[in-house]
Formats: sequence, structure tokens, C-alpha cells
Amino acid sequence: MFTNCSLGHCHIIVAVVLWSICVDSRKIRGISLSYKRFYRERKSFLCIDGSKMIPFDQVNDDYCDCMDGSDEPGTAACPTGRFYCTNLGYRSHYIPSSRVNDGICDCCDASDEYRSQTPCQNTCRNLGQRERAEVEGQTRVLGERLRLKQLLIEEGVLTWREKQAQLRDLQRVSDDLQTQLDDLRKEEARRKEEADALREREIGARETADNSPTSHYRPESPISVFKELDSNRDGSITVDEVQAKLSPVQDEEHALSEDEAVALLGGAHRVDLSRFEETLWTSLRTGDSVTIKGRRGVPGSLADEDPNIKAAVSAAEKASADLKRVEDAYETVYMEIRDLREKLSIDYGSEREFLFLHDQCFQLKVYEYIYELCPFSQVTQKSASGEVVSLGKWGSWAGPPENPYCQMRYESGEPCWQGPTRNTMVMLICGTETALRSVKEPSKCQYVMELQTPVSCQPALRQRGVHSEL
Amino acid sequence: MGPLLVLWLAGCLSGTWAVDRGNFKTCDQSAFCKRQRALKPGQSPYRALLETLELTNTKLTLQLINDNNKVRLLLELYRLQGNMTRVKINELKPLKPRFEVPDVLINDPPTEPLSLLSRDENGVVLSLGADSQRLIVSAKPFRLDIMEGREVLLSLNSRGLLAFEHLRIRKDTCQEVMSLSLSHSKVDPEGTENKEETEAANEPAEGEEEAKEDEKVEDGMWEETFKSHTDSKPNGPSSISLDFSLPGVENVYGIPEHADSLKLKATDGGDPYRLFNLDVFQYEVFNPMALYGAIPVMLSHSAQRTMGIFWLNAAETWVDISSNTAGKTVFGQMLDYVQGSSETPQTDVRWISESGIIDVFIMLGPTPTDVFSQYASLTGTQAFPPLSALAYHQCRWNYNDQEDVAAVDQGFDDHDIPYDFIWLDIEHTDGKRYFTWDPHKFPQPKDMLQGLLDKRRKMVTIVDPHIKVDSSYKIHNEIRSKGFYVKSKDGGDYEGWCWPGNSGYPDFTNPEMRAWWASMFAYDQYEGSMENMYTWNDMNEPSVFNGPEVTMHKDALHGNWENRDLHNLYGLYVQRATAEGLIERSGGVERPFVLARAFFAGSQRYGAVWTGDNAAEWEHLKISIPMCLSLGLVGVSFCGADVGGFFKSPSTELLVRWYQTGAYQPFFRAHAHLDTPRREPWLFGPENTALIREAVRQRYALLPYWYQLFYHAHHSGQPVMRPLWVEYPQDTATFSMDDQFLLGRDLLVHPVTEEGARGVTAYLPGKGEVWFDVHTFQKHNGAQNLYIPVTISSIPVFQRGGSIISRKARVRRSSSCMEHDPYTLFVALSPKRFAQGELYIDDGHTFNFDKQKQFIHRRFSFANNALSSRNLAPGSQFTTFSWVEKIVILGASKPSKATLKTPDGKESQLEFEFDASMSVLTLRKPGVNAGLDWTVVLQ
Repeated sequence: MFTNCSLGHCHIIVAVVLWSICVDSRKIRGISLSYKRFYRERKSFLCIDGSKMIPFDQVNDDYCDCMDGSDEPGTAACPTGRFYCTNLGYRSHYIPSSRVNDGICDCCDASDEYRSQTPCQNTCRNLGQRERAEVEGQTRVLGERLRLKQLLIEEGVLTWREKQAQLRDLQRVSDDLQTQLDDLRKEEARRKEEADALREREIGARETADNSPTSHYRPESPISVFKELDSNRDGSITVDEVQAKLSPVQDEEHALSEDEAVALLGGAHRVDLSRFEETLWTSLRTGDSVTIKGRRGVPGSLADEDPNIKAAVSAAEKASADLKRVEDAYETVYMEIRDLREKLSIDYGSEREFLFLHDQCFQLKVYEYIYELCPFSQVTQKSASGEVVSLGKWGSWAGPPENPYCQMRYESGEPCWQGPTRNTMVMLICGTETALRSVKEPSKCQYVMELQTPVSCQPALRQRGVHSEL
Repeated sequence: MGPLLVLWLAGCLSGTWAVDRGNFKTCDQSAFCKRQRALKPGQSPYRALLETLELTNTKLTLQLINDNNKVRLLLELYRLQGNMTRVKINELKPLKPRFEVPDVLINDPPTEPLSLLSRDENGVVLSLGADSQRLIVSAKPFRLDIMEGREVLLSLNSRGLLAFEHLRIRKDTCQEVMSLSLSHSKVDPEGTENKEETEAANEPAEGEEEAKEDEKVEDGMWEETFKSHTDSKPNGPSSISLDFSLPGVENVYGIPEHADSLKLKATDGGDPYRLFNLDVFQYEVFNPMALYGAIPVMLSHSAQRTMGIFWLNAAETWVDISSNTAGKTVFGQMLDYVQGSSETPQTDVRWISESGIIDVFIMLGPTPTDVFSQYASLTGTQAFPPLSALAYHQCRWNYNDQEDVAAVDQGFDDHDIPYDFIWLDIEHTDGKRYFTWDPHKFPQPKDMLQGLLDKRRKMVTIVDPHIKVDSSYKIHNEIRSKGFYVKSKDGGDYEGWCWPGNSGYPDFTNPEMRAWWASMFAYDQYEGSMENMYTWNDMNEPSVFNGPEVTMHKDALHGNWENRDLHNLYGLYVQRATAEGLIERSGGVERPFVLARAFFAGSQRYGAVWTGDNAAEWEHLKISIPMCLSLGLVGVSFCGADVGGFFKSPSTELLVRWYQTGAYQPFFRAHAHLDTPRREPWLFGPENTALIREAVRQRYALLPYWYQLFYHAHHSGQPVMRPLWVEYPQDTATFSMDDQFLLGRDLLVHPVTEEGARGVTAYLPGKGEVWFDVHTFQKHNGAQNLYIPVTISSIPVFQRGGSIISRKARVRRSSSCMEHDPYTLFVALSPKRFAQGELYIDDGHTFNFDKQKQFIHRRFSFANNALSSRNLAPGSQFTTFSWVEKIVILGASKPSKATLKTPDGKESQLEFEFDASMSVLTLRKPGVNAGLDWTVVLQ
């Protein structure tokens, strides 16, 4: 339905220059100058397609002799014929022969209704004047619009460059971060290994010491606490075990619910040592939520006691934190790059003239609805009650091959009841302001919007120029 | 789309696309149908009391008595002019008057005297005048036979299914209830027969009651519930039934509206055909369910004779058909033939109606043409539409606003496709308040109409008969204050749910209401209307979304009568009142154009009908042919189906095929549901646009022929679109044919209704006749099945050899633009080099053709190598600018010269061309005025 976008036509003829020639061919009604040579008055007339020779007085005699309709340029006799409206002072054009003498004024010079009862006025002069004034006005306006367009294109070029630079910067940052990440990963692994080794050794020593009944103090490690809580010694801590051994800090009499226990285990019903260290152990060490029944205070750690271990552990923790930080930064940069690339991959027109529309939204109220178009993103409709319905997400340019950038398609909006998904076609038209001009729903759930913007203006009019009547 | 609509559609659409059969009654769920159908053929309990016979100049009257319950009926027999018999049966003394259908017959049918031929204790024999036709009244059991010579044409009550549920007083308790007349099949236990005899004929009233046998009260006699709706039946059981036997008949047709084959099927083992005007959502094809309209007229046909039965009853009606050959295979029938089976074919028909009286018109033919004339003499003929109404109509639910209308209008011009009417569906109104305009979308309706007028085009706006209950709506307030609404059983205004939400339903049966309604179409009442704006009455069954079976409660009241009595008549009245409004607004000058969905016998007088909400499916394209053919047989010629299909979206091929078919059906309108994508003809690529353009152009070129056919239909009651058997009544091969049809006598159309078809097999009737392909001029012999290869470019259409058809070859933007254009005559010669045709011309839109005889009616004849035009209506006067542009003679031989002779004695030679390969002679520019006498002689 929307395959043709007007680029603005204008063929105003230098009519009067040709006046003298027209006079000669007046007998042959309905032909243009360029066809005059076919209608030189002779004894006979050859149909333009060469199919038939007829007596010349059968030209325009209101009977169709030629298959191509060329013998009746001035009557309605031929089904495939066409009539030339000379329209002196205005635009000349062809009309189908069927519009000759049909009671409707088609040519502004009234030449098509020479035998009907409908009185037609010659309005060409007025139309011509009006159009010329309009065209002049438009030309002025167009100049302004094209200037705006140029600005927007330049703006687009700058934005594009900016974005490209931004992308390059981000890329560089990303590369840096990548290097850092490699180093930090190694560092973290090394630190962790060191700390673990120290701990292992200390635990070994403690376990020996534990056997001594004189031991009054028992610094706790994750492993020891794990072992303490793991009543059945199956190498994992279960919800039951947590409920049996732990209680809230504030109220030791109160038992933990299953949900609370599961939460403490990081959402699992059963954890092994390493998961324990990441979940419950952390909670026990902060000591502000749960505690082991019958025990006061926060379970200590080996690090509390041994400065070597303490140093090693804190070094490992630092390395880990550093890694985390850089990972986060990398992730952020990665996302930014992805977004930017996505943005830059969109086709913004041959001169990237539509780039400036990105990140903008335009609204229009039609009856009880507010429509919003965010170019290259989405279209929505908001009802008076505040309900927002998606009328489509950015799909593609949809103009005809010769002018693809005159239509945008937004698709896969909210599904229609019992029907397909909503979609919107945005027609881009030339205008000074960039704004939504109209919204329609020609078929249910299929929307058509008009977005006017100087960027859609074409310099065509100015190039073709305007001839004035002499 | 409003929330109401969404709600309603949500309810209706959920799930599948098929009709929800559960919303509509089967015979078993309709109490009276169930009671009546339980009655099996057998000996009738009715007896004619011959001593009560009275014969006057105009009629014979006779009492009948039901020997089981002693209730007496009054039989009236009329011999009507034009070979018809009217049989009326009512209760002799009904408790209160029973409904007799008014306003359907155009007058009191003129009678002819019946004469008594013989009389004895067994019955009487009456002469029906012509053709040794006799009417035999048998007394015991009562039956009627119409005979011609020794042949029985038709019998009534021969199967004993006459049943008349008399009105009775309700007795709620069990001990003292009255009899049900239907129980006659029971053996009388107390020998009331003797008693009755003693009572004789005089005072049947009082003593008789006690004599009646024990009653039987069945469910549904005094109240009936279907789904959530309870029908109170204050008058109790009141149904009637009568059987008709048609010896020698194997084919019956008519009783529209059903989405079924042209030839009616036997209903044994299934439901009867139902006649009850209903808004059936997403109807299915090939079944006997009721649809939007009802015309209780059946035609019977055999190679010997065509007859008609017109059952004048507007209540819910069911028609059972059985046939002794229906179940037989072709082989079985052959076997019967070879073995000389004694059984002659016979079709038995039984009509059952819920209330009213038995009032039957038996149209005795004997030809199809005779039956059409007979029926037309009773109910009138097709309204003669404005010429433009026969052109192409562009509709959609909805053209959204004035800009949309202008864009579509321009689209037709840009793509050089003609159209005459653009239509506005319900969304054009201000909140579904008919006679108003949406102030935002249609702020300047007159500007819009003027824009169309400037292009000599027209518009139709919808005006439905449900009125929004809204105290700020003038139409509602006036109807309410005048008391013009239909009343509910409790006496308040009946209200139901429809497009506007809560709605009232004007009582169109009330003549004052109709006059008021008509006055609302005056230009100063219907604001924004103009003379090029016409009307569409949809939903006039009436449709009531929340009513039983989506229609009005049967106990709703139209004055003193229940909707039960006159339900099927409502739609006719709506269309009538609207058509009268359009006539009045022009001071009686202009012909109206009103399209309606619901209809009844006589609706043809008021405008056009269409086959309602069909679907974009090949089956629906196919069924459009028998549906319109069936309507044509019973008077309604102006019929069409939504081109493209209303629900769903057609494939491009289906859409093109539908345009090609619709171009050759009487009412040619494209329409589409709100939920479907746009489908104006140019939206499917240039190739399909060209195909649709060509189909529409074929229609416009043929408008002179269409117009003449409609004039003929208006004048004589002959259908425009005809089954083949109507013109070839002896050709049994045509009897069940409904995939092709004739327009008038002279064009045979075989639409392509199969997806991806490469060819069709058309039957060309008429032994010794020839047919010419209108596209190629190829000649084919009649009486053969012809395989015709088809492409997507057109459908097969043939012109009968022996006919002359006028066309206007200069197809323009609208039919009005073609008014003064010249004619091309297509003379298709018969093998005997003979041809005949007609041309009708008038101003195209006023009643002046009728009131002032302002028309031209010409007869063209080709014989003895001369083609002449002579005046068929010497009393008429009209002048036209149109002239004869070209004469194309098909099946011609090459003349040495062609001389045109005019009455002033002038002679001139015509140039011509002769195509020897196709034997086509083209005479160049005779140039004579179409209204004058002339002759062309070929030498």
C-alpha cells in the first residue's frame, strides 16, 4: 500500500513559447507537441503502432479504429487511449480517454469537456499562479529546510565521529582491562594458593594440638566449623543440620525455619565445603544474624590468630577484590561497546542524515490516545487510562528501492486480539520541524504515522526550476 | 473499536471460526417442531363436513372437524386469476384471532369462479377452469387433490399431517385440561365419534368440550426455555402443519435463505430446513440452518411441469422434504428404470409453523415463467433500482474518516477502476447512533458527499433498526415518547443489546412508526445527508446480541401481536420504511436504493439483499451462486454476496476469482470485516490490480444488459440470475446444476470457484443451439459438457446464439459518466442465422419511466440478413444522446456490402471488417440514435 513516496513533482511547461506551433495542431484534439508529427494532415493516417492505415478523416471521429487508440486522441472512443491536457499556464498532462466528455472537469483548460453538458471553467491561469506562488514559497522554505538538513547531517557526522571515537576509546579501555584481568587472575590464584597452603599447615598443627585435653582455646576455621556442623559426617551440610545447630543471634531459643536455613545455604538444601565458605560461613563470621547454638561470639578465623595467615588471607582477599573490580569494569565496557556497535550498525541513511533521530522521541495526541515514536527504537500508544501498548519495535527501512529512506517499519508490537501483532509504518515527509504529523489505523492494528523532518527534504524542486509565464 | 464490540466479539469469536451451533435451535429444541415432527404420516383425523359447504362467486368454504378433539376448522378455497389456488385454513371459532400476515400481498388476489362439477358423500369435484384442471375435496379423511386430466399434480394432507393446535385456555392443574389436537393419532377410546355425529354441524361449541378426549400437556406448550432464555407462551400451543405431495416431482427449490445447494435435499434423518430470521455468526455452508432472511416459497420442477407453493406465514417455520428417489443412487434409479419400477418419483413436503393460520398459494405453472408471473402477481416484483446501484460498490467495515473516503475514492481514479458507491459501516456514526456522524471523523459529511457528487459517485450509510437507549439522542427520545418501541411481555419498552449497547427496537409493524421513520430521511432531518446518499439496513432480523438465538424474544409485543407471530416480517418492514423514506425525501421523484440483510416474501419490492456475513473461503464463493439463484426463484433478483468474503482475509487468487464472479452477480459489492487487512483492489500488486480492473470493467460494459434485465424483472417478475433449468425445463441434466447460471436468457456464466483451477467443465444447454465465448468469440455447440481451460485472467462466459446484447464499451469512472455513451451491439447468430434482443433506456434514477412513460424500449431482430431496431413501447417517450457505435455479429458470413436504412428513407453504406477465422463481422459506426428505428441490410 505504501510503496510510493512522493518526491514532489513539478513540470510546469513553458507553454506560450510553443503557442504558434499549437495553433497548427489544434484540429487534432488531445495530442501533445511531441506527437504532432504523427498527425500531419494527409489522405490517410497510420496508427502509431503501425497496425493499420485509415482515412485521415477517421482521426478523432469518435470511433476507435486503431488497437493502440492513436486515431482517437481527442475522444473517448478508444479504451486504451489518452487525452493530452495542454493546460496553458499550468501543468500539461495526460488523462485516460475515458475521462473525455464524462461530465467531470479534468483538464484545467476545460479541453476534456468540449461536448458534455458540464460547464467547465479554464482555471489553469489561477492554478498556475497559485502553484508558482506555492512553489516559490516552497522553494524559499525548502532552502531553509535543506539548510537545516545540512546542519543535521553535519550534526550527524559529528555524532558519528564522536561515537566512533567513543568506540575506539572504549575498545582501548577494554583491551587494557583485558590485560589487567589476565594479570589479576594470575595474582589472585597465586595469593589464594599461598593462603590455602598456610591454612592447611596450621590446621594440621591445630588438629594435633586439639588432641591435647589442655587445649582451652580453639580457634575456628571454616573447616572445623564445617566439620562441627556436619553431624553425620557425610561431607556436606544440610538444611536439617543447620536447623539443628544454628539459631538466630537475637533469640537462641527460636529455631530457624526451613526457608531461613535454605537462604543461609545460599538457596541450596545441601552445601559442600567450598559452597559453605561462600555462604553460611560468611554469615557466621559477620555474626549479626545467626550463631552456633550455645556459643557466644563470632567464630574466629585462623587469620585472627596467626599474623602470617592473616596477611596471606588478606592479600588473597585483596587480589580477589581487585579482580572483581576489574571484571565489573570490563563487563560495563563490554556492554557499552555492544550497545554502541548496535547503534552504529543501524542504517541512518546515505549521509547518516537520520542519526540525529536516535535517542529522540516524538509524541502526538489523537483523540483519546497519545502516540509516541522513538525512531530506531519503538512506537507506543498510551490511552487516557495510562495503559501503554507497543505498536512495534524498530524493524527496517521500507521505502521503495529508489527511495528506501522514506518509510520506516516497526514490527512485532503487542499482538492483536485474535489477530497478528501490531505494526507501524512511519512515512517520512519533508518539513521544517521534526515532529509527528499524523497517526492513522487504516486496518485494525496496522498503524501509519507521518513524521516530518527537514532531513527528508530533497533538493529536487530547486534543481528543476520554475518557468514563469511570459 | 469500542469496548462493547470487543466484549461481544470476544464472546462470539473465542476459539474457532465455525458457527456455534449450540446458539441455535434444532427442531428437537424447538418445542412445536418437536411435537409436530413426532407426528408420523397416517390417516388424518380431519374430516370435511360437506353439509357446511358454501360456494360463492369468489370462494368455497367448508368446515373441517378433528374427530379426536372435535375442534372445527374453516377451510376456504379460492381459484385465483392466473392459474393459482389459495387454500386457507383457520380455526372456525378461535379463542382469539390468529395472526394473518398483512402487507405481503400487493392486493387481495383477484379470484375466478369455482364451479362444482360433482358432489357426493365422499367429496366434491371443482373445476379450476383451464386445462381440465380439477380440485377434488375428499371428505373422510379430508384431503385435497389438484388434478389435470388423469394426473395428480399435487395433494394436500394426503399423508395426514394436517395439524392445527387450537388456541385453548391454560389449565395449570392436571385434572381438567383441554385436549391437544395433535394427539389425533391416538385411537379414540370412548367412541366420541358417535357423539359427534349426533351433534351434527350446528352447535359445536359447548357440549363438545367435554366430549374431547383426555388432554396431553407436553413440555414446551406453555413455556419453553432455550439456553438461559425462557419464552413465556401466554397463548399456549398454536402451531400448524400441512403436508403436500408432488407426484412425478424429483426436484424442489427455493425456501431461502439457506447456505445450501440450489436443489433442496431430503431432510429425513436430519433437521428440516428452518425459516427464522437470525443473525448467524460465521455461518457454515451446506446445511439447513436458518439464516438472515426467510421466503416461504418452494418451487417444484419436473420435465413436465413447474409449480410453486407459497406458505404465507411469518412465524418460525420448518420445512421437511422427503423423496422416494432421494436415497437412491444413480445406479438404483437406472435399475428402476430398466426394470420398470412401478414407483413414480414423488416428493413430499411438510410445512410446520409456530403460529398463525394456514394460508397457502398453489401456483400451478405450468412453466417456470408462469410460476414467476404468478408469484409476482401475489407479492409484486423486484424494485427497479437506480442504474448506478447495478454498478460496483466499495464497502468496508470501516472507512475511517473523510480523509480515508477521499483517499479510497482517489485510489480508484489513480488505478483507473470504476466504482459508483462507497459505503460507510457503523463506525461512521456518533457512538452507533444512526442518523448521526462521528464529529471527529466525519465533521463535514456534506463536503464529502459533494466531493463524490463531483465525480458523479454516491455513498451508502448504514442505518440499523436498533436504537441506542440514550436520553440525549433525539431519535430515541422521539420513538420513546411516541410509544413506537416494541414492548416486552410486561409492557415496558423492549430492550436488548446491540452495537450501541442497550438498545430499543422500533415497532416497524406499526404504520405510524414507519411513516415517522421514513420522515427521518428527509434532508433536513438526517443532517449531513444529500441526494447521492442511500441507505443500508443491517441487523434487521432483528439482531439482539443477548436475546434468544441472538434475536428478539418471541413474547415481545408488536401492538397486540407477539414477535412469535410475525418475526420473519420485521426485516421487510424495516427495509420498506427506509425505502419509503428515500422516496419521500425526493418528493416521490427518485428511486430508492436500500440494502437489507433480513427479508421476507415481498421484500423484493423494497430493494436489494445480500447473503450476510460470509467468509473469505472458496466454499463461500461457491455457495454464493445457489444462494442468489434460490432468491431469484422466489422474486428477489437483487442479490449478492460480499466480494472477497466478510470474515477472514482472502488469498489474492480467491479475491480475484470473487471479483470475477461478483461482476456477474446482481449486487456487486466488496466488503470486509474490521479485523481484516485492507483490500482495496490495488493493494495486491499491479498484475492483480489489472485483473480486478478488468473484472469490474466487464461489469460496467455490460450495464445496459443488466439494466434491461432488471427492468424486465421489475416489469414481469422474471429473475435476473437464473438456474439453467428455468430456460431449459426439459433438460434433466440442468436440474441440480448450481455451479453455473444464466443472466436473463442470453448469458451463461461459469465462475471459477476452485483454487488453482486450470480448467472448468461447463455445460452448454440446448440441443441444436450454439454459444459464443464472449472473450474469444469462439463458437460451441449446445447440449454438451465442455472443458474450458482457464487462466487467472477471466471466467468463462458465453452468449447464446440467437441473442443480441447491448454493451457500452467506453468504461468510465462511474456509471453516471457513461450515461450518454454509445452502444455496441453483440449479435450472436443462431444456427438458423437469427437473433433477437432488447434495449431499455431511461434517465436511470427517477420514477418517470413509470409515471410518465419516459423510457425507450427497443427490440433488435436479426433475420434474413437484416438487423433492425423497432419500438417495443409505442406509448413511451424519451430521448437519449446515445447512439449505436458498433455492431459485432458473431457467426456471420462475409457480406459484399452493409446498408444502413433509416425511416427518413436515407441509405448509407457502412464500412465493415470481417474476421474469417472466428466468423465475426464488425460494422463500423452506424451512428444512429439508439432510440430510433433503423435497419442494416447485409448483402
